[in-house]
Amino acid sequence: MESPWDDNPSSDTTRDTEWTKISSEFTNAGYREGITAGKEAALQEGFDAGFANVGAPLGRELGILRGFASALLSYIPTLSQPGAIDPNVDLEQMLSSARHIASSLSKVRFTDIAPRDLEAEEHAREHLDAEGIDMEQNPDLEEKRTMEGLEDLLSSMTTSGSPSQAGPKRPTIEDVRSLEEQLQTIAHYVQLDIPNDLN
Amino acid sequence: MNSANDFDLESLVHLEQTFYDDGYKDGFDHGRIHGLIEGRALGREKGFEMWEELGFYEGFAVLWKMICARRVGDSNERIMNHINQLLQLISQFPRVNPSLTSSSADVDIPKLFRQIRSRYKILCSTLGVKPSLRSADGAPSEEDFQEDSNPSTRQPVWKVDEQSRVATGQSLEF
Repeated sequence: MESPWDDNPSSDTTRDTEWTKISSEFTNAGYREGITAGKEAALQEGFDAGFANVGAPLGRELGILRGFASALLSYIPTLSQPGAIDPNVDLEQMLSSARHIASSLSKVRFTDIAPRDLEAEEHAREHLDAEGIDMEQNPDLEEKRTMEGLEDLLSSMTTSGSPSQAGPKRPTIEDVRSLEEQLQTIAHYVQLDIPNDLN
Repeated sequence: MNSANDFDLESLVHLEQTFYDDGYKDGFDHGRIHGLIEGRALGREKGFEMWEELGFYEGFAVLWKMICARRVGDSNERIMNHINQLLQLISQFPRVNPSLTSSSADVDIPKLFRQIRSRYKILCSTLGVKPSLRSADGAPSEEDFQEDSNPSTRQPVWKVDEQSRVATGQSLEF
């Protein structure tokens, strides 16, 4: 075997090749090990940040609204005895709006209202540019997305009968805001004031 | 340098280590980005899932508390009691993964979750209301929690789950 330090000028090419081979072999091996270790080391930190900064507060906000709607749904029927409430208020209609709000809120998914993870998008773009491949997604989340896709497909089949059409439009954060306002309106009818901010 | 005797094997080994270390460092930095991104995606999802359910109980209790506050009667006092107990339990539930806040690291999360759910059901039956089963169905199950048998290790309560960790480790291609 030729030594990379062999001074024979005729073996320059061989030497360079050999040199590159050795360096890249070890650099790549280190890179592979490093990437796994770096990922392992940062997963928990990322999890904690996502949990505390986005997931928990956003989930709580939506959950509270859904809880309000559920409480109104159970409260309104108790008002049916005469004299319990302003006779001009149509309880049936209020009940049906409350039901509509509750069911709309329960259909909202995390992905419908989650803020974008710009850093993740940026990094995925870098991968796409450099290697022409998409970044891998966590298998658990990937499975969840697949299930949600199936749900969409099923609901579009039962409602319109033609799965080829685009599924029902997903709710947005603006839709949630609007449902919140409708909830507030109903609450006012039954002399309740929904708190805007629970701490 | 010309003779084979000058060949220093030691320095070659050292050189290999240097290449490896350089690669490792770059890889580690890149892996860290991936770990943060993937961990964040999981944490966002998990935090949302848990607090959506808890928030539901909270909103339900808060509104019924307002309703009861303007009523009088013995049965009302009993309801008020249930509401306050439920709200008290929810307030104990961490909004930040306890691995960061040592003060709440002792909270038994699965147990607290069970208590909150049964408190909610008790409140519902006191009110004569059918509990919403939707949240209980889609709720995180016991297996989602990794119970730490040894509290001295102070492990974070929600650990990124081993299985997905292994699986994604394999999927990284470079």
